[in-house]
Amino acid sequence: MDSELLEQIVTNLKEINSKLDKLIVQVENRDEQISEKERIMAESLDVITLLSLPDHLRTTATTLFEIGPATADEISKITNKERAVESNYLNQLVRMNHVRKYREGRKVYFRINDSLKKK
Amino acid sequence: MTLTLAIHSSKGGTGKTSIAMNLAVAFASAGKDTCLIDLDLRGPSLCSMFEPKKHFWINDFLSGKCSMKDTLTDVSEEMNTNAHLYLSFSNPDIKEIRDLVSKDRDWQASALKALINGKRELVEKDLDVIIFDTSPGVEYESVNAVAASDMVLIVHNETNACTSCTEQLISGVYSLLDKKCGIIDNMSHQNYVDIVDRERYGVPVLATIPCMCEIATRGKDEILVHTDPDHLFSKSILSIKDKIESMK
Repeated sequence: MDSELLEQIVTNLKEINSKLDKLIVQVENRDEQISEKERIMAESLDVITLLSLPDHLRTTATTLFEIGPATADEISKITNKERAVESNYLNQLVRMNHVRKYREGRKVYFRINDSLKKK
Repeated sequence: MTLTLAIHSSKGGTGKTSIAMNLAVAFASAGKDTCLIDLDLRGPSLCSMFEPKKHFWINDFLSGKCSMKDTLTDVSEEMNTNAHLYLSFSNPDIKEIRDLVSKDRDWQASALKALINGKRELVEKDLDVIIFDTSPGVEYESVNAVAASDMVLIVHNETNACTSCTEQLISGVYSLLDKKCGIIDNMSHQNYVDIVDRERYGVPVLATIPCMCEIATRGKDEILVHTDPDHLFSKSILSIKDKIESMK
């Protein structure tokens, strides 16, 4: 009886999981559509703009330039700062339109905004 | 580990290209696989000394039309170096230069990304040294090169204009990008070869190269490190090479 119940729970959990995955994809697509509109206004990050950023954001952005798309965790290992701190800086750069955020599986990645690439 | 150098100066005509070419030959002769890239896209000069043997220019690479290796010409046989010496040329065609001047910020942003990817491609090829010869002053191409490098060699002469601008470049560009720097006093009119200052603006002075007409006249068709290794200029270049290696 107990094992049947457990099996039922596992099946339900798997179902919930797959529904969540589908939801994530839907949200991603919706974000993509919205950002497509914003893209025209989005600014790519050039080196002169990089120089004018405040020190803490410049270090984060430079690191992202050097290692390419990365998670906050990967950036924090290079800059020797807390993951949460880097995550905050990266999100500031996202709000400034210099960096783009995207999801791969369960991980959140950041990359330098490059509006030219998609034109 | 690959060392990437950007040769830069605040003003034009300080001798960046001569130093870049001679330094590249010096590294390759010492057995280091080296790549010299002409990033003076507005005033290309590498093609006046060497003949490009590839269809693609560095301009094509920065525009995403080819890979870095498609732009490389190997001149190690010509220069008789112990290791590979690759050159990547900038297109001297005036149409190409006009086109470049009209490029916008977006293009420059993607050019920086391309340059960093190109550096990665050369690192994977196990190159020991990459040298960027840049355009003078604060231009997108030169600051991109600085951003993609590990160390900046500032080629400096004694004019007042050069002095004040160099100080600003150090505090307003190189330091902000966390780059190691070294100053080369070129065309010095002091009567001695010894380094006058060990340090200036907090940056080590690597060499003082006296002003010699010969460097200009012979340097037009010769790489002195290759043709005349005992020349004072060649010796200065070799000592700069050693100092860079010790700073790594």
